[in-house]
Formats: sequence, C-alpha cells, structure tokens
Amino acid sequence: MTDLRLSATQLERYSRHVIMDEVGPEGQARLLAGSVLVVGAGGLGSPVVQYLAAAGVGRLGIVDDDVVDRSNLQRQVIHADGDVGRPKVESAREFVDRLNPDVTVEPHELRLSADTIATLPDYDLVVDASDNFATRYLLNDYCALEGIPLVHGAIYRFEGQLTTFENDGDGPCYRCLFPEAPEPGTVPDCATTGVLGVLPGTVGCIQATEAVKLVLETGEPLTGRLLVYDAMDMRFDTVEVRQNPDCPLCGEEPTIESIHDVAYEGRCTLSAD
Amino acid sequence: MTQQWKLFADLAELAGEREVTVDTAPGETVGDALDALLAANPDLETRVRDDDGTLRPEINVLRNGADVASEDGLGTELEADDELALFPPVSGG
Repeated sequence: MTDLRLSATQLERYSRHVIMDEVGPEGQARLLAGSVLVVGAGGLGSPVVQYLAAAGVGRLGIVDDDVVDRSNLQRQVIHADGDVGRPKVESAREFVDRLNPDVTVEPHELRLSADTIATLPDYDLVVDASDNFATRYLLNDYCALEGIPLVHGAIYRFEGQLTTFENDGDGPCYRCLFPEAPEPGTVPDCATTGVLGVLPGTVGCIQATEAVKLVLETGEPLTGRLLVYDAMDMRFDTVEVRQNPDCPLCGEEPTIESIHDVAYEGRCTLSAD
Repeated sequence: MTQQWKLFADLAELAGEREVTVDTAPGETVGDALDALLAANPDLETRVRDDDGTLRPEINVLRNGADVASEDGLGTELEADDELALFPPVSGG
C-alpha cells in the first residue's frame, strides 16, 4: 500500500511534479515507493541515476563491477576526478546521497551472471545501461522470463538504440530483433572506436524518462518500437519491433526456458552441454 | 530505378558512408538490392553474410522502417522510393 502523505520538504522538493495532473501527489508517492535496478554506472547509467534520484525513486539498485577510470569522465557525469580508482557503485552512491536524501541506493558491486542475478533483491523494473552483449542478453532473458519491465539503451560512436520491453507476456523481446549476439570481435567497443561524450547523456535521459513513466504508469512507453538516434545528422528514426514467432525466448516454440540454459558469452546462445 | 540504402553503426563505417544508392530493375527484390549493395562493398559483405552467403541473424533488413522478415524476407519485391536500411545491434553503454 502506497503511503500518499508527502512531507512539507517533499512537497517543496517535488512541487513541479506535484502540480501536474499527470503526476500529482499520488504519482510522486508512487515514485517514492518505487524501485529501479540500473545495470551499469557508466555513460548511460550516469544520467539514469541522476534523473531517477532527482525524481525521488525511493530505492535505486546500481550494478557495476568496475572502478572509475580517468577516460570515463568525458561522459560518465556522476563520477569526478577525485573518484578515479574508486568503485563506480560507491561513487554513484555518494552522488545520490548528496542529491536526494529520499533515495536509498543499493550498490551491487558485481558482474551480472546467471548466478549473481538471482542474488539481487526484487525491483519494479530494470534499466539496461550495460556495455556488453553478454549482460544485455542475460538481462533480456531474465526480465522476459520473470515478467520484469526492461528499458533498453545502447550506444555506438554517434548513434543510440532505445526500446522498452514491458514483458507482460505479449513480447516482443530483444531476441525478436537480434536472436543472438554478433560474433565476438565484429562490433568494436567504445575504447576502440570512441564515443561522443554527450551521446549517452541523450540516450540515458530517454531511458530515465521511460523508467519514470513506467513507475507512474502513465504515457506511452517505447513498446514495439526501437528508437534509433543519430547524433551526427540529429535524426530519430523509429523501427517497428514485432514479436518474432521464431524467437528462441518468446516465440511459438521457445528453446530458452531458463537463463541457466544459455552461455552468456560469445553469441549468447544455448549452452553446448 | 534507384534504391537508397541507409546503414547504421559499424556497417556505415565499413561501407565508408551512411547512405548508398544502388540501381535495381523493375520486379527485383530486396535481396537483389542487397546483392548490389554488397557487391560494391566487400568488407560489408563479410560482416552482413556468413561464408554460406546467409544473412547473419543479428543483421536486420528494413524496408520503409519495418523488418522484411514480416513480409517476404529478402524475396520482398521492391517498389519505387522504398527506403532500405541495414542495422546491427550495438552494445556500448
């Protein structure tokens, strides 16, 4: 049961939310009672953490096993020069603590795997702000099987891809679009190709927008649509995403029934054994 | 007639440009337009199709913003002014 009472301080802090019919005190109370797991505290995770914390999402889980590197600071805006060498989840927690005392951060300093994901507490929804295919396929499969909404965002140099999987039983899922990961080595990473620093800011802000809407249960999520953002030409294209009857996860004859069926490395397909 | 391919992410880098125009004849298919695109871009060929010439599963072929898999796949007949696109998944964060 959501406690609808906001304190005087909260009414002031969230006044620009409370004044809107689409949010109101009930919506703000819903945000304060809400919980979101942000996977990755890097380029995408930084703006997601910033805006969800500012919005007053009451419980924010942050997963990352990495430490802050000086080369991260061109885009990972919740970390500062003095944080170099520190765990990103600790730096992220301090950022949120300074921003909003209403938010409880749950730092999870670990690499997500089929085993470690089961050790995490429950959250209302998951934001995929990770930086590798293994984690992305694991999150997709886990959230689809468990029925947890997943907000997907990914970037490459000057481009971003965004979509939301509500995982309410009707599909589609990430595997409907991309049944398996590219062969390792075919898609270069940020360290190799570079990335425009502000790009994950734009993409992460849209992910945060989707997360807030899902918690509020308002608006139209990016369901069944992949938003492709091209920063160079300043274009947003929308690609229709349909459930694929041949999808190995949510298709008519699924072959993936558990995350333990899949080897989350290489192409993220069924284990050989 | 001519068809415009729009390329995303690393596919645009391999081709050296984001938009590529190919010539097609009336009655030809998306697969024919793909052949024309890849014939001029050998690096793109190996990224988009495997050794058997099969389209790699993670590469999406779009016609006017929709996956051709929801039509007749690469056998989908082209119409004038179709916008074709190839896009792969990206993983950066």
